[in-house]
Amino acid sequence: MSNFLQSVRGALILGVVVGIIGVLAILFAEPFYQRIVFIFMVNLIAVIGLQVFMGNADITNYGHISFMGIAAYAVAILATPVAIKKTALATAPFGLGTIELGLPAAILIALAVTVLIAFLVGTMLVRQSGTPASIATLALLVIVHVVIMNWVDLTRGPRAIYGIPVKATLGLATICAILAIVAARLFRDSSWGLQLRAASENIAAASAMGVRIKRLRLVAWVVSAAICGVAGILFALFVGTISPKSFYFDLTFLTLAMLVVGGAYSVSGAVLGSIVVTFGFEIMRYLENGPQIAGLKLPTMFGLTGIFLGAIIVLCMILRPRGLVGDDEIDEIWRRRAKSRERSEISAKASGATQ
Amino acid sequence: MMSDYALQQAFNALSVGGEYALLALGLAIVFSVMHLVNFAHGDMITVGGYAMFLLILFGVRDPFLVLPFGVLITVLAALLIERVAFKPVRGASPTTGMLTAFGVSIIIQNVALIFGGSRPKAVQTADWLASSLSIGSVQIPVVQVLETVVTLAAIIGLVALMRYTTVGLAMRAAAKDVPVVRLMGVKADRVILSAFAISGFLAGLAGIFILARRGAVDPFMGFAPVLKAFVAAVLGGFGSLPGAVVGGFALGIAEVGLQVLLPPEIAGFRDAFVFLLIGIVLVFRPQGILGERPDFGEKS
Repeated sequence: MSNFLQSVRGALILGVVVGIIGVLAILFAEPFYQRIVFIFMVNLIAVIGLQVFMGNADITNYGHISFMGIAAYAVAILATPVAIKKTALATAPFGLGTIELGLPAAILIALAVTVLIAFLVGTMLVRQSGTPASIATLALLVIVHVVIMNWVDLTRGPRAIYGIPVKATLGLATICAILAIVAARLFRDSSWGLQLRAASENIAAASAMGVRIKRLRLVAWVVSAAICGVAGILFALFVGTISPKSFYFDLTFLTLAMLVVGGAYSVSGAVLGSIVVTFGFEIMRYLENGPQIAGLKLPTMFGLTGIFLGAIIVLCMILRPRGLVGDDEIDEIWRRRAKSRERSEISAKASGATQ
Repeated sequence: MMSDYALQQAFNALSVGGEYALLALGLAIVFSVMHLVNFAHGDMITVGGYAMFLLILFGVRDPFLVLPFGVLITVLAALLIERVAFKPVRGASPTTGMLTAFGVSIIIQNVALIFGGSRPKAVQTADWLASSLSIGSVQIPVVQVLETVVTLAAIIGLVALMRYTTVGLAMRAAAKDVPVVRLMGVKADRVILSAFAISGFLAGLAGIFILARRGAVDPFMGFAPVLKAFVAAVLGGFGSLPGAVVGGFALGIAEVGLQVLLPPEIAGFRDAFVFLLIGIVLVFRPQGILGERPDFGEKS
């Protein structure tokens, strides 16, 4: 029980940081910056979803964004008003062009669809580990993209779906991000998470101890997909228009960079990485557009953000392959430091007493 | 008439399969020696392509200079990337290596984007590459014939290299057990550089054909072919050289077959079916067509 409380407390430390960012943005930021913070929250949720699978199962996952896409498209198709669908999605199959669900129902169904698809994909995926499994997740990303691009009746293909009710607020996104942090931390510290992490260290030893690796990987995969689904739904309900390219390699690069830089093996890493990379990315995006700095007109350099992402991934892999935070959560590191300090103080006192 | 069409498509399948086989071989040879999944493999083609574009820009038009130059630069790019990015992460976990390669790939694409812009730039490879051969009543593009022939030649050359040279022996041995190979007095560095040189050379060859088909370079030109090569490698059994060849040709045949057989309404979904092959492999034969089942407890 105390372990459970410790996990919740650790998660809440991160939650408070994220909450402060959200509240400050709501209170003081201009709409332009509020938008950036909202997208940060969405990306953060996706990164945390990614961490649940990648950090615990230690399989590099390139497919998480496809679940964001599936959920976003599902909620868009279900919740967009019929009046708009008449022009945009008149040919939708299964009578979807003529129905319009309330938001709660649409969100629940979108999540259910995402989880179902994740479950089906997962049963195949968990049969393999390591590199082939990673490439299978890459294949998933491509397949989902190709389907969205080509199932024109359902998704409008390469054209955007517009008119999705804009109902998500920054406050809601912040709350969702905090909940995602708590959920991911609880999963990591649960016996399932522990068994999975043990299996990723030594698969033979773990299965000899009775860890049901495939089943646990499947659980992590589905939980991860559900969290990414939440990110997708928030995105759709904030931006109001979605198109296939929103959920493809660009976002995959960005979120992977965030997780890898912070450290995939802890939720703290996911949060820290998201914050650091968002900062760097926004600065690069500003520079990319050729701003005027101190009277000097810089040239436009589209591609700068990409170089930044690539460079921090490579540098991080060379210098700190397990990310800024490393293998443990921040509160665990603090607690250990506090303990060792205490111990050294005691031994210092003890040695002082003997002299 | 029908048989003409079938013959044309058969050549098409062989040449597409050859391209995938060349790329998958390059991935497999690096993977077998140092367990690195080289995401940046396709981007070396991009580097070679831009090099050819620049050379032509400087007035050199003779394809017998331009094409070898492209291959040479591709090889050098592979060696350079190994030195700068992959050497520091040598011996790290496969995840670290794969993500490093992923980062390198993004960097190359975006450097090309900054300096070259996102629009494709025309590169005229050679007139005879773009022409067609007629065999009886069948028209077959020269590219396809050459691609098939060159792939087969490259495979034979590679087999000879792996069988009969010391470097080949060292590479085959390194694929089994790197520490022992080093204990035998072979420099790991040399083996790895050779692997990258060969992989770059194969990528360069494939790059010429990719370029001849597209007629232009753009920053992302290497990415899509290499995704397919990944599929081919997984199909054949990741890290197995014969598997890469079999997987490449199997993928080429599957792709062209789907293109011919799929009704036009769902022809757009072809790539989804192609990538779905990975799922089928994972379910029925997780080690791939020719791969060996990894010892239990092996991490990758």
